[in-house]
Amino acid sequence: MRGDTPILRTVARFAVPITVWVSLVIFMQGHNLPGGGFIAGVMAGAAGAMYLLAFGTAKASRIPWWKVSVTGLLISVLTGTAPFLRGWAYMDHTIWHFQLPVIGEYELPTATFFDLGVYLIVLGTLMTIFVELAQEGR
Amino acid sequence: MTQLECLLPSIVFLPFVAAALALCVGRFTGRWTGILMVLAALTSFGQSLGLAAHVSRARPVAFVHEWIPSLHIALGLRGDPFGLFFALLISGIGALVGAYSLGYMPVMAPRRLGQYYAALLAFMGAMLGVALSDDLVLFFVFWEITSLTSFLLIGFWYEQEEARKGAMTALQVTALGGMIMMAGFIILGIVCGTFSLSQVAQTKDLQLRLAGSPLYVPTLLLILVGALTKSAQWPFHFWLPKAMVAPTPISTYLHAATMVKAGVFLLGRMLPIFGTAPLWTVILVPIGLATFLLAAYQAFTETDIKALLARTTVSALGLMTMFYGFTDGQQDALGFLSHATYKGALFLVAGIIEHATHTRDLRQLGGLRSRMPITFAICVLAALSMAGLPPLLGFHAKEALYEGLLYSPISGGSAVRWIVTGICLIANALLFAVSFRLVVGAFLGQATPQVKHAHEPSPLLWLPAGVLAGLALAMGLLSPLTERLVRGFSSTPGPQLHLSLVPSRTGPLILTLITIILGIVIYRSQVAAERWRQQIPSWPTAEQVWDRIMEAVTSWAVAFSVRWQSGSLRWYLSGTLVFTVGLTSYALWRAGISLTRVTISLAEMQWYGVALCALLSTSAVLVVRSRTRIGAAIALTTNGFLTALLFVVYRSPDILLTQILIETVSTIFILLILYFMPPFKADAFTALTRLTNLTIAAAVGLAMFAFIMLSTSPQFRETHNLALDYLSRSLAEAGGANAVNVIIVDFRAIDTNGEITVLVVVGLLVFGLLRARRNTHEG
Repeated sequence: MRGDTPILRTVARFAVPITVWVSLVIFMQGHNLPGGGFIAGVMAGAAGAMYLLAFGTAKASRIPWWKVSVTGLLISVLTGTAPFLRGWAYMDHTIWHFQLPVIGEYELPTATFFDLGVYLIVLGTLMTIFVELAQEGR
Repeated sequence: MTQLECLLPSIVFLPFVAAALALCVGRFTGRWTGILMVLAALTSFGQSLGLAAHVSRARPVAFVHEWIPSLHIALGLRGDPFGLFFALLISGIGALVGAYSLGYMPVMAPRRLGQYYAALLAFMGAMLGVALSDDLVLFFVFWEITSLTSFLLIGFWYEQEEARKGAMTALQVTALGGMIMMAGFIILGIVCGTFSLSQVAQTKDLQLRLAGSPLYVPTLLLILVGALTKSAQWPFHFWLPKAMVAPTPISTYLHAATMVKAGVFLLGRMLPIFGTAPLWTVILVPIGLATFLLAAYQAFTETDIKALLARTTVSALGLMTMFYGFTDGQQDALGFLSHATYKGALFLVAGIIEHATHTRDLRQLGGLRSRMPITFAICVLAALSMAGLPPLLGFHAKEALYEGLLYSPISGGSAVRWIVTGICLIANALLFAVSFRLVVGAFLGQATPQVKHAHEPSPLLWLPAGVLAGLALAMGLLSPLTERLVRGFSSTPGPQLHLSLVPSRTGPLILTLITIILGIVIYRSQVAAERWRQQIPSWPTAEQVWDRIMEAVTSWAVAFSVRWQSGSLRWYLSGTLVFTVGLTSYALWRAGISLTRVTISLAEMQWYGVALCALLSTSAVLVVRSRTRIGAAIALTTNGFLTALLFVVYRSPDILLTQILIETVSTIFILLILYFMPPFKADAFTALTRLTNLTIAAAVGLAMFAFIMLSTSPQFRETHNLALDYLSRSLAEAGGANAVNVIIVDFRAIDTNGEITVLVVVGLLVFGLLRARRNTHEG
């Protein structure tokens, strides 16, 4: 895959950051509104694919994507094991309550960390496969 | 008592900590990592000694920590005299072997030396765990760790094919035996309701319950297989000589002093539980006796020093097995001690000889006496002990054997007594001849070209051997002290055990004299024995049978894998789909649910629903009818996005979003892969293949249709509504209004955990496969 289409490149310059931003929004709202780590990760992966189509693999292949997915797995599993410290079962999530200065009370379910892991895994795995397959084509 | 208790886990787990340390610092400390081994072993030795001074059979020390209480499994350790005696043996010889390794291991990459000592330390910890475990599950865990670490240690020179093969055989035999033993442990634990060894051994009720169970005999047999494989008893004896490819300190430690004794040790532990079973004697006595004789004979005809010593070890273990078979646990401490001292010393001497002359073949050795006087002296002492001559410890062991055979009550009457005594006489005479053959063959006679440059090794090498041989001598001379020691440490109290250099009864003395005369005769007829051996027809040995079985298993596994993992995507897909359909239909049928209970009313259907269904069907037909891959891909993608529209109709934004994104990404995948695919051969299918594919596709379609219709029909929506349950709990329990996501990350988080792990593994595999392929293409 070589990035030699000016139209796609121009579009991608705007579309990729927007898609990544939307994926982050979808991830953050996932606990209460349609969204969540999985689809947000897929969306970010789709943005990555658009980037690869437009600009080629040279820059993207420098990032060790498989490490992103492994990091995600670590985050998810550690979130799951943290309840052990309090004598709870594996993946026994709870909700943290914060008093933030401007926003006021804020609720953060610990499941969000698990979801973050899912996001990173989906993104990392998709990008690993995309980049490797794209390089195969050269 | 509480402080004493805490020594138990410290003894067992400290070596594991040291092993981790050795792995970390090994690359910097290199050969000096051995000091860590010596220190760790001495620490465990000191702690065991301290404990041994405070316990007795009536008052052992126990350490119990909760592990899996729901299954009655605990982290239970127990320090009784026999266990602590074994622990002292393990840690004491561990220290000597660590010191010996310092001088023995050649110069090599420091990292590998670190790995060597780490495996050795982990092995020592596991052995100590075997000695001190009270919980059977814990015992099994340590038992298998010894098998695994011994695999690493036997295969330490993994560049050599022999080493890899020897390590594989040892692992296959001992790990298989261990797993069979585990089955026995589980039955025992379920029948008795506890996994605590001491509790079963001390409670008559539990033993009666076990004996009354129909599973009594299977349990006994399963556990015996574990013990007999580990201790290399016939017909599993072949792995031990093959394991002699290990570095000599390993052979000394694992295959003479400790690991192979674990099987016999297990018999000692099981004696109070199963000793009353008639089958116990019927199995163990013949096997032990046969091994004793067979291995002694094989040792006599062996020319490789280490293999010869390995055969004598198998032989000595056979003797111990036989004793346990006669439910006689009085002599076990004496047997362990005498064998560990002389055999340990002899193995270390073999290592010294190999180090100096680069050969282990007795036919190439000779005349080492003048070149290595200290080693010669050590070897003579140890060999005398093996031959059972006074005043060494081996003499006492042999006297005790004959005394037990002559005067103890033996089940089976006097005929059995005389047959057993006769076989023991011959086997002991053979061992006597082997001892002489070893000393004469290596040290006396003419110096061969191989030994020209041999000279005395560094004290690091001969001192550990000297300590062991010196112990054999000292304990032989100080017989009253030794008597107290082995009486106190044996698994069962031994009031009949008397050790003295001047025999009190004539029976054993006469048998000893016969042994010596017979031994000299056998030694002199070496040539004749060799000729005789060539004349007996060779029948398939246990080793060949084992190899044959292993080959069959491997070829069967290959055939199975080739059939099922054929690499054809269509095959995998058919398999998965057929299985899914079968399972779904079976579940529906079992629950007595049929489509007749579903009412379909088309009246509610809107015009756009009909239009959508028509479009979906058309695109589905196009996927199948397409003549090119790109055409099929486009049709498939169209179908996917039309399905997304379906979710608009049903107003489920979450799934809609997922569907669109997945469809997008799948399309990108298909387009990426399309380039590498071979040309589409739609016409290549036979009529039969087409019919099969059609059947599978139709079955999947029908099953999914039935499943969806059933799960959405009003009667099930009211009675089996999982969705309502999740919806009501989502916000209250997990603090999220989006039930779909809450199910993914909270309610069913462990499922998701499995799925994301698979995803990561798949990513890594794709990465690894494509990278490796590219690298081979470029390089």
